[in-house]
Amino acid sequence: MSIMQRLSILGALASTSLRAEFQYRANVVTSIISGLLYQLTGFIVIWIVVDRFNTIGGWSLAEITFLYGMRLTSHGIFYACFSQMFDIDRVLISGEYDRYLVRPVSPLAQLFTRKLRVNCFGDLLGGFLLLGFAVTNIDVIWNTANVILLIGAIIGGGLIEGAVQIVLGSMSFRFLNGQSIRVTTNEVFNLYGNYPTRIFPGVIEYLLTFALPVAFVAYMPASAILGRSDQLIVWSWVPWITPILGIVLFLGAVRIWRRNSVLYQSSGS
Amino acid sequence: MMISRNFGGWFEYGLMAARRVYIYRFNSIFSILLTGVTIYLLTVVWTSAYAGRTEVGGIAIGQLLTYLTITNLQVRFLTPEIDEEIRERIREGQIAFDLNRPTAYPGMLMASAAGAMTGRLPMLLIGLPVALVAGELGAPDSVASGFAYAASLVLAWIIAVELNLVIGLVSFWTLELTGFQAMYRLIGNFATGALIPLWFMPDLVRIIVQLLPFQAMAFLPVSIYVGEPATGHILSALGVQILWIALLVLGIRWIWHRAFSHAVIQGG
Repeated sequence: MSIMQRLSILGALASTSLRAEFQYRANVVTSIISGLLYQLTGFIVIWIVVDRFNTIGGWSLAEITFLYGMRLTSHGIFYACFSQMFDIDRVLISGEYDRYLVRPVSPLAQLFTRKLRVNCFGDLLGGFLLLGFAVTNIDVIWNTANVILLIGAIIGGGLIEGAVQIVLGSMSFRFLNGQSIRVTTNEVFNLYGNYPTRIFPGVIEYLLTFALPVAFVAYMPASAILGRSDQLIVWSWVPWITPILGIVLFLGAVRIWRRNSVLYQSSGS
Repeated sequence: MMISRNFGGWFEYGLMAARRVYIYRFNSIFSILLTGVTIYLLTVVWTSAYAGRTEVGGIAIGQLLTYLTITNLQVRFLTPEIDEEIRERIREGQIAFDLNRPTAYPGMLMASAAGAMTGRLPMLLIGLPVALVAGELGAPDSVASGFAYAASLVLAWIIAVELNLVIGLVSFWTLELTGFQAMYRLIGNFATGALIPLWFMPDLVRIIVQLLPFQAMAFLPVSIYVGEPATGHILSALGVQILWIALLVLGIRWIWHRAFSHAVIQGG
């Protein structure tokens, strides 16, 4: 099958799940609003702290808003594309995965397009709002390099979060019970990713950079765009490769998934 | 309602709820770890905001960190899940049996919440070390505030159950509560003062939060613990909690009366 054929099948599957969700209009609206509210509460905490104490880790409100907006948009992309990884245990246990194996499309692609969680639109909306507010309040010269880094890093950030969840999800072929670990890891990204990583003590900052790539999602590229590369624990060119890093990690994660997926044992139901 | 006659039923119902905690023990342990993750973040963020100052607005850094650690641990352990239970029973139509039992349903739900809470207590063996590692856990300000905190904690638990019951009873009108429920959890989470103590909220936000019952679940008791009772005095802080308990009892009676006549039994 050619790559174009594959892509068109993928597109058809994705648009089916999108249309399926939009059958329930009221549910779509409440999900988007609750998604938006959930993320904005996190932002209100930051807003109140900075309002009272002026900075967090030396970053102003507009700068943290920019960081938060980048992270939230990345997270929205991740959630729109890969949220079904949170249901992998059920897919394996119920035997739904059997169906994926007899169809001529990658099982991973079928998993990701089985359903759409519409609250991702709340994340995307919130992300755009915050980015919109931030860019009018920060001092950044929007040259081509910065614009490319912003867009590339937002997509790359989504791929990084996706890669982490795919690796964790592939463990389910062995253990069938990884939901708690995936949710906890996701929350670490959700909570810690929105703050300048440098506020954490040294060891934790290294862990959030190299053990779990939280800092790569938004903190590093945001630092580069805001002219704060000198505060990073890595060379100042590293933030510029985050978009490529996203692709590399994602492809690596898919390999790990493939290798583990041979362990699948149908439940027979 | 005769308590002696109902007690056996309540006890069994509570025991069932306590066992349920251990059926999902893996999830329970992870949710404690997640609380640790939150406590650690709050500790780092607020320490960074204090930027070396030992005191801001009369609140010492040690008091604040102890406050944040205890409130978050407390909210984790005090969260009853009876709204979820009610919804499940309605969805499956089993609510018909519940309403026909010789014991009144709200009493059984209270028993179930008490059981789940008691069942969760041994989890403190994990919760306390996690909190100690993630945050800071200072001793109560004085012996008196320690005892007053214990009393306040019991009142806080009653308020938590009452609020949860209110949310659950709304399910009698509409099953699709996901949006409403999410909003309750969010506003609840913020308005308990677990993320930002009321001392540091901007005036307008603080006034709104003070008019809501959620602060009686976390901010009031823990502010007593660290020796800065929200209302200035321990007794008046306890008084505010008792007032909320009474108001919520009236509210629940009113809603329950209407919910009962509104119950729709889903065939199954």
